[in-house]
Amino acid sequence: MFSIASEIVQIYRFREVLWQMVKREIKARYKQSILGYFWVILNPLAQMLVMSFAFSLILRIPTNASSHIPYSVFLYVALLPWNLFANSVSSACNSLVSSSTLITKVYFPRSILVISSIFAKIIDFLFALTILIGYMAWYRIPINANIFWVIPIFIIQQIFTIGLSLFFSAANLLYRDVQYLLGLVLVLWMYLTPVIYPADLVPTRFRLIFQLNPLSVIINAYRQTILGGGQPNHLSLLIATVVSLITLQLGILYFKSREKIFADNI
Amino acid sequence: MPDQSPAVEFHQVTKVFNLQAQKTFKEFLPAMLRGHQTAHRHTVLDNISFQVQKGESIGIIGPNGSGKSTILKLVAGVMSPTSGKVVVRGKVSPLIELGAGFHPELTGRENVYLNGSILGLTQSQIKEKIGSIIDFSEMAEFIDQPVKHYSSGMYMRLGFSIAVHVDPEILIIDEILAVGDASFQQKCFEKMEIFKKQGVTILYVSHSQPSVVSFCNRAIYLNHSQIIDQGAPPQVFETYQRDIASGQ
Repeated sequence: MFSIASEIVQIYRFREVLWQMVKREIKARYKQSILGYFWVILNPLAQMLVMSFAFSLILRIPTNASSHIPYSVFLYVALLPWNLFANSVSSACNSLVSSSTLITKVYFPRSILVISSIFAKIIDFLFALTILIGYMAWYRIPINANIFWVIPIFIIQQIFTIGLSLFFSAANLLYRDVQYLLGLVLVLWMYLTPVIYPADLVPTRFRLIFQLNPLSVIINAYRQTILGGGQPNHLSLLIATVVSLITLQLGILYFKSREKIFADNI
Repeated sequence: MPDQSPAVEFHQVTKVFNLQAQKTFKEFLPAMLRGHQTAHRHTVLDNISFQVQKGESIGIIGPNGSGKSTILKLVAGVMSPTSGKVVVRGKVSPLIELGAGFHPELTGRENVYLNGSILGLTQSQIKEKIGSIIDFSEMAEFIDQPVKHYSSGMYMRLGFSIAVHVDPEILIIDEILAVGDASFQQKCFEKMEIFKKQGVTILYVSHSQPSVVSFCNRAIYLNHSQIIDQGAPPQVFETYQRDIASGQ
């Protein structure tokens, strides 16, 4: 766990660079398009509407027997954090390759590039969240104190995201195939995660796989705590935390071992 | 008592590039399975040692591919030596390919903040210096336009202007002054002279004999991954020219 701490210290020392990089991503997007930030909201909204049509009117996936949550809200609560995860990892995966000129010219901790692309996606996520809040108000979905669980859940999600991103971004510098492979993995991963269906539909014999996939635990926990389904399963959350920390540790170790030769390989 | 240790020290530095022969899995996997070579090694620097004292201006000369830029990248900390040790004492400011890290969609001013922080300035330092940065670049008119509309000369002027406002202790310069118009080149050399007077250590890679001879107090001649000669620039250039003449 020592390398995690020293990495945090490094990034803190270069926090102004980090902040400038995040601003760069956000401003650049805002300038490139007419609708600018509106796309960040429109995109998941359109996705949610189409998926709601397919899975609640055609396939009729049951949300939760006991509650009367509309499928659209049920889906959106999981889709937003899933999109955050998928967008973060894929944008971080390309972050080193797309900043190759910087990497060969100036020294700064390279993990800044990865972290800043993730931070930019978190800001997108916060914008997209406004629709969810509006939606929940519209359907008058009651919330309770369990909603505060989203803070630790969010942190666990980011630990896992950063760990994976460090690994994929460094590997992508070596072989560009990694980014295409990642695209495929993310599509499959979404179907293996209870985003469009509730976790209790998963047959018991597959439960273990679900426990070990931090994303299913995280997504399920968001849904439970936000939609008034009580506290998340503490043991599952603990396992997800441990898996995420191990991922982060391995991600940092791999990234560090490669960092020295980044400039050689570009 | 001022610290007399050298600004830059290379101790038996060797840099080997492991160039991958295959860029994709599709090429890599069959090559690996058949036992073909998957990487070839290319030695750029072979057991090189030298020192640069504080305040010295060193010219690094030699033919293309002799490892000049690799030395600068090792000093900048962008690359690590394969073996040996590189010691750098002081804040390094690179004038290598100016404008690296500029984002085309952002304005000149926004890029000053971005690039300045990458080069190690704090936000308040940039705020303090931005007027002087813009003045030096002579770009006041265009500073609030996206840099994608800049010409390559304007791009470079802004980049140079930021880099010289970093207050470097060690300045590394790679050929860049070959580009840009005569009057801006003149201005850059004047700025470099000022740095030299202030005691900034300068490592200067160039093919231009007049600029190295007039600007540097010492030159290092690299060829075949080795230091062939070093000393007073005119004498080192003589060795270099003799090698070229004899087809080395």
